[in-house]
Amino acid sequence: MEYLAIVFSPWALLTIFIGAFAGVAIGGMPGLTATMAVGLLVPFTYTMDPAMGLMLLGGIYAGAMYGGSIPAILLNTPGTPAAVATAIEGYPMSRAGRAPLALKTSVIASFAGGTFSVFILLLFAPFLARQALAFGPAETFLLALMGLAGIISIADENSSLLKALIAGVLGMIIAIIGTDDMSGSLRYTMGLVELYDGIDFMPALIGLFSMIQMLELAGQKSHEIDTSALEKEQKGEKLPRGIGKYMGLGAGTGTLIGILPGEGATIAAFISYNLSKRISKTKELFGKGNPEGIAAAEAGNNGCVGGSLVPTITLGIPGNSVAAALMGAFIIHGMIPGPDLFTEYADRTYPFIISLFVANGVFLAVGLFFAPYLARIALVPPAIMVPVVAAFAVLGSYALNNSVFDIYLMIAFALGGLVLKKLGYSLEALILGLILGPIAEGGFSQGMIIGKGSPWIFFDSNIAKVMWVIILALLVPPLYSYWKHVHKAGKAAG
Amino acid sequence: MFKASIFTSVALALGLASAPAALAGEYPDQPVTIIVPSKAGGSTDRTARLFTELAEKNYEGFEFVIQNVPGSGGQKGFEAIARADADGYTIGLNFTPQLVAHIVSGRAQYTLDSFHVMGNVAQDPGIVVVPADSPIKTMADLAAASGLTVAVNGIGSDDFLAAKQFESIAGVTFNLLPTKGSTEQKAAILGGHVDAAFMNLSQMIKQHKAGDARIIAMLTEERDANLPDMPTALEQGYDVQMRATRGFVAPAGIPDEIQSQLDTMLAEIMASDEFKANAAKGNIFLLPMSGPDYLAYLTDLQAQTQAVYDQAPW
Repeated sequence: MEYLAIVFSPWALLTIFIGAFAGVAIGGMPGLTATMAVGLLVPFTYTMDPAMGLMLLGGIYAGAMYGGSIPAILLNTPGTPAAVATAIEGYPMSRAGRAPLALKTSVIASFAGGTFSVFILLLFAPFLARQALAFGPAETFLLALMGLAGIISIADENSSLLKALIAGVLGMIIAIIGTDDMSGSLRYTMGLVELYDGIDFMPALIGLFSMIQMLELAGQKSHEIDTSALEKEQKGEKLPRGIGKYMGLGAGTGTLIGILPGEGATIAAFISYNLSKRISKTKELFGKGNPEGIAAAEAGNNGCVGGSLVPTITLGIPGNSVAAALMGAFIIHGMIPGPDLFTEYADRTYPFIISLFVANGVFLAVGLFFAPYLARIALVPPAIMVPVVAAFAVLGSYALNNSVFDIYLMIAFALGGLVLKKLGYSLEALILGLILGPIAEGGFSQGMIIGKGSPWIFFDSNIAKVMWVIILALLVPPLYSYWKHVHKAGKAAG
Repeated sequence: MFKASIFTSVALALGLASAPAALAGEYPDQPVTIIVPSKAGGSTDRTARLFTELAEKNYEGFEFVIQNVPGSGGQKGFEAIARADADGYTIGLNFTPQLVAHIVSGRAQYTLDSFHVMGNVAQDPGIVVVPADSPIKTMADLAAASGLTVAVNGIGSDDFLAAKQFESIAGVTFNLLPTKGSTEQKAAILGGHVDAAFMNLSQMIKQHKAGDARIIAMLTEERDANLPDMPTALEQGYDVQMRATRGFVAPAGIPDEIQSQLDTMLAEIMASDEFKANAAKGNIFLLPMSGPDYLAYLTDLQAQTQAVYDQAPW
């Protein structure tokens, strides 16, 4: 009870509100990420009351994870890689004038995923963190494979399976650049110190989505969004029935994956999206604007918020890069992750966890309230939109690592990506390969070392066996239907 | 401080902050940038902030801006410090053994001569840690077992160098598992995926005390005050010593009167009780060393690292 009193004091509420609101704005801007925002603000909280500081950062984390979906839906410019799956469904809805419904779905799904995961964090954190330890490098490799299976589901919308696979492999090839973690040798760095750490996926994301979208907008003669539909929809299209199922699916998947170490949110969003497509009765609508896909993906990435904090605060093993930055804030205030957080520092830890519920409520209110106004962003004339977003893209690329090199990288991705897109290659597949390739590689090589050169380690544990079943379930049905499709086409032609 | 920042902004507004004006004014007439070669919130970053907090409070006219330049095992940041204008408005932090490891492996564009070494602040002793239920209880057990999988934090890191030292002393060959960051090492030990890991004390002290993992040796010359019951590897008959250090460096060539002002400030702050109290709270282990002492330490370390590199380059 006393913890509730701490959270519901006026100052605490104001802090959480500011955090969540700022988080939504940060997540919404291309190039600004939750990792960066939390990283920048950690030192700022140094002088704050510890509980307040953590609430501010928690608010930003929760808000930013949702915020990424807004530009993804409206402009096809995902603010974070975790929102790429949202863009696949959201942007077509936006173009059909259904942006308010897409926005509403995304905010409610984000809220559902976020709230569920915080419940899990509050009730089961120590127990789940122990279970998650069984998840080793070999299982990490399988998780990355599961995420990469998403490439197949991106593909069968437009049935250019081969091109999607090539794009995915291309992404993985780009990800090879940098230091090989296993041997310490440099791969294709061309003597540039900037490339020693490999290609950061954020400049790639900004170049491939924000920049290309702006180039395409600039090239259009007229802005072809159906405004009449948007006007009509202002009153509000109701959420489709049965969408709760997809939110639940996403929330569960997201929380589970969030608990595991690794680049959680992106994998969680894609796996949730992919799973939802498998169980959907309206598969054919996927890729053309299906709110079910948005619901699963957004519940999935927000589920990671609570999930990623489970191992962070119980074991000091951050679930992803934002959680790692947050852990820095805990340590600054002398709160070293471990059992102490729940005893000695319980008066800070529990209010922090409870504040995450409030943060989820704040972005829900903000999202619902502003959705109709936000939807109008899509109506901004290209003459204004293009320079503004392009400026943000440049600024954001620089700000990530204070590196001018990243700006060039972003522009290179925009130009190369534009060519690929015109040729029909999927940029979503490329970014998925770029992000998950290194995770798969790390898991694979570490697994092989632990297994002393025997690949059986990838089939050894029970977790691994279950994961193989899921991977096959994700891969086989779409491949079978693709094969049927090709077979039929072949017959028809013959 | 407030006054200083008003002055700075006025000066900027009038366009007076350009180089000639800066020379004319009294040092410091603008904020001093501290380059931290790692991410915000990490231990090096926190060391820097412990310093700036007290420096701004106790030294009239001084204002600091921390610039995080993470990446490539600190190399990006080290290069940035070495390249910075030697005008007293940019200094930075370094950490070992990475600072010298980059020189030894031939990747660095800087050398130790590129820096004026201001002094060391903090350290993190090396440790050897095993899973809580491991049959390995001493360094002798570690040397006796064969085919152990041992996690180190990346190639060329302090852990890696310590593991290599132990291998050559004990005549064993580990199945070395390089990880990306100490987080992966921690997960591998707590989850029992590896047999042992070479790490740093601050990363595992809580887990050791909670019984989730077991430290079997300190890699220091003497026992550490934070874990007084833990024998060193040296006591156990294996002369493996490794510690991470974190100190301040400046680009070489800063005018003497400015440099000595900064050096004195660092020494005074490190000697203050408030600094010691704040460090203890933030889980930072102090090891104050003067500039000349630290330079000697770095030179020595570079020679040792060179020896390891010559045997088994990475």
